[in-house]
Amino acid sequence: MLLENKYYKVLRAREEGDGKAVYHIALLPDCNVYQGHFPGQPVCPGVCNIQTIKECASLLTGKELRISSIKQCLLTAVATPTVCPEVDVTVQVSEADGKYSIVATISDERRQYMAFKGEGV
Amino acid sequence: MTDIKNLIPQRSPIMMVDELLEAKDDVARCSLTIREDNFFLEPDGAIAEPGVIEHIAQSASAFAGYSAMQAGATEPPVGYIGEIKRFRLNRRPRKGETIVTTITMGPTVGGVTIISGETVSDGETIATTQMKIYVAGE
Repeated sequence: MLLENKYYKVLRAREEGDGKAVYHIALLPDCNVYQGHFPGQPVCPGVCNIQTIKECASLLTGKELRISSIKQCLLTAVATPTVCPEVDVTVQVSEADGKYSIVATISDERRQYMAFKGEGV
Repeated sequence: MTDIKNLIPQRSPIMMVDELLEAKDDVARCSLTIREDNFFLEPDGAIAEPGVIEHIAQSASAFAGYSAMQAGATEPPVGYIGEIKRFRLNRRPRKGETIVTTITMGPTVGGVTIISGETVSDGETIATTQMKIYVAGE
């Protein structure tokens, strides 16, 4: 896992059945990505949140998934490790013919930061 | 064409464009060589898929930065991805490979610009996507 324990840390995982789980994660403010995104103004790169969703989907399925397509990914609010030090990554994964459909959100009690629909292999 | 640091606000370790190769009207091309220290490089020697998305987004950012500079700006504008749509990835680029992305700018409405991007390596299409990008402060 590229970003686990570097960009985020899983604090709690709750499997809800039917291929759904909620990962409560901490966004790690000391991750070196913030040195460059952006200098003096740390903002979570949207693509790191996509990678985090993929890694949570991989934890859920027990298979290292690769994103082959994204139907739609909405970045609905700017996330930073200060604005949202802890967030819920909710993932729903279903498999058909070796392809995994991944539907996920990143949110906290105040707002949603990302809504993702894509496919993994 | 210009030092990339004048065109995009991202810095190491997450600079995902090396060079703006050309920009004319609503089309630009940017390149990136995948190096050992790439933030997205995985142990198997290829970069994680979101690294390709970031490269496409920063290519659009470099294009916007170039246009802003032509218009007299001194600092590159900070842009955010608002939406990624119809992203398809055929394979992940590997260490040592140079990828080139063509960005086509669509209309800007209310500070939001729709772009499309196609990433190739030596003539082979690696990824295609559409994105909505908005620029802070506009």
